[in-house]
Amino acid sequence: MPENILLDPTAETAAAIVPRLARPQSIAGKTIGLFDIAKMRGDEFLDRLDELLTARGYVVKRYRKKHFTHLAPIELKQRIKSECDLVIEGLAD
Amino acid sequence: MRAMTQVAVPHIETSGKPAFPGGTFLAIVKRDCPTCVLVMPVLREIERHIEHLGGTLQVHVQDDVTLAAGFSHAYDDIVLATSYRYNIDTVPTLIRLKDGREDARVVGWLRSEWQSLTGIAALGEGLPAYRPGCGSKTLDPGMPARLKVKYGNSGLASRRIEVPPLSDPVETCYERGWSDGLPVVPPTEERVLEMLDGTARSPNEVIGLIPPNLVPCTVEKVAINAVMAGCRPEHMPVVLTAIEAALMPAFGLHGVLATTNACTPVIMVNGPIARAIGMNAKGNVFGQGNRANAAIGRTLQLVVRNVGGGRPGEIDRSVFGSPAKYSFCFAEDEDDPRWESYAVSLGYSPRASTVTIFPGDGITQTIDHISRKPEDLCRSYAGCIRAIYHTGHIIGVQAFLAIAQEHATVFYDAGWSKARVKEELLELLKIPVREVVPGRSGLSGLTVEEKADADNLIPKFKNGTFNIIRAGGSAGKYSAIISSIGGRGSIEPVTKEIK
Amino acid sequence: MHDIRGLEQLGIVAVGVATTEFKVAAAAQSQALGYDPAVVFVRHPIQDRTREEIRALADSALEQILANLTAL
Repeated sequence: MPENILLDPTAETAAAIVPRLARPQSIAGKTIGLFDIAKMRGDEFLDRLDELLTARGYVVKRYRKKHFTHLAPIELKQRIKSECDLVIEGLAD
Repeated sequence: MRAMTQVAVPHIETSGKPAFPGGTFLAIVKRDCPTCVLVMPVLREIERHIEHLGGTLQVHVQDDVTLAAGFSHAYDDIVLATSYRYNIDTVPTLIRLKDGREDARVVGWLRSEWQSLTGIAALGEGLPAYRPGCGSKTLDPGMPARLKVKYGNSGLASRRIEVPPLSDPVETCYERGWSDGLPVVPPTEERVLEMLDGTARSPNEVIGLIPPNLVPCTVEKVAINAVMAGCRPEHMPVVLTAIEAALMPAFGLHGVLATTNACTPVIMVNGPIARAIGMNAKGNVFGQGNRANAAIGRTLQLVVRNVGGGRPGEIDRSVFGSPAKYSFCFAEDEDDPRWESYAVSLGYSPRASTVTIFPGDGITQTIDHISRKPEDLCRSYAGCIRAIYHTGHIIGVQAFLAIAQEHATVFYDAGWSKARVKEELLELLKIPVREVVPGRSGLSGLTVEEKADADNLIPKFKNGTFNIIRAGGSAGKYSAIISSIGGRGSIEPVTKEIK
Repeated sequence: MHDIRGLEQLGIVAVGVATTEFKVAAAAQSQALGYDPAVVFVRHPIQDRTREEIRALADSALEQILANLTAL
């Protein structure tokens, strides 16, 4: 049987869209991951963000996936999650 | 004359007018039906006759269209769209259309009626006078719901949520926050329609307002959550009654959901329905492994979560919770007639089926391998029951005591009724004021007179309810206490009959 | 988009950076996924820019990126 349409079991007071994670009140001093999705020139953009964020006192860590056409492997996402408080992914064009 | 047993009796539904020449006829058949195979030559006769007069015979085949090879208008109805549209329950069915609309039909093979419908004298003379038809494929197991979703108006009002392409529907349910942590069955329209077949109640009937958000909950929403929980349609009457009972003001569901205590609604079923749907009242009664127990209990939890909005970390402030918050549902053991069931003791007929909801925070066992006299066994129980929450806690504490077979036998052999056991226990469960805890769990609930003398005895269940039930396996000298906060006027056990 | 969703599903707050060329596709993917990630858009194109121009894009996007990482 096709399972692509489901009936909503909730009170339907929320939008049908899954919301983003709640943002923290303050990110001062946090560790920010810069995740390069491996499109050309993206590394230059992230390099500059790296400089700017470091100058502002954030701890910056760098990550990169092998090829932009693939989804990031679960191990990479888990590593980012365990090593960082926040992540910026780029650059999609 | 020997009575005939047949699958379907041929009959004609007609306006009574004589058949007219030409016109359009629809025949719905399937190869897997001896009567259909038998009448194929008759259909050929009809086709010849009608085409000669400028009419049309359409032959729709439900399984193998080659059955209609050679006919001018043969149609493959393997998707059963036409069969659904014309509401076919038996094959062969021959329908006469007038101006595109059904005028009359014949079901099964009855020569006289087919002759009358088509106006063809001597039609099918070489065949037996009649043969019964077979079930239409539209009535195969699961098909009615599937076809209703596909072609009909399912009548379901809930918002449709699309599973993203290449996504796993089980994961989608997790992502949307619908799960209690364990996988849920994705609630497709077909599954929900089949679940609704388990109740005669209308899908848009509102059964009550679910706390904490006091959202109106329809039978349809219950069915969606019942699908997710793993219910079968035959569980629906119990599920609906359980939710209605939990919404009774005396139970105080909001309080149960919002407390810091670990308690949760417990569902107990009495009466014939328990056996009918295969519930467990015996070994491992409060544990895993029985679908009805597990799924019915889980549905209540999912409805609270998904419809009512009651979730841990939000309204649910429980410090510990317990595995009972996944599901806690069972049937009372009613096999031994020496003690009446809980429902009967409340005044219900033994033939009635009921759902009782009471609060519970898990189970604590009492072990007594030694006592053979009822007084001794009661003393063992009293020691454990006294200790619920604290030996001096006497306000807002209540319990159910589930006595398993080996312990029950001690009471049966001594001729003690359940009421007698309860009376004995309540007498033993009296606590001197000096041992009552300060604060709202104890001393604050006492009157000045009661507190006046440190030797005054206060019942453990000063405002809490205490009930005895039978449940559990046959081997083992155990009984089990299901304790909770609450009491008379705040959170009480409630019972509702399943109608 | 899928990666951002995957990261947030693991519980880490994420924001994506994309060029304006990506705006329509991002909206469509949101709709299809039932998920609306935080995305900051920079001016298209990227590929033919000088190194200095790309650095300037990062400079101009920084505040918006940080705003998308905090609750305000």
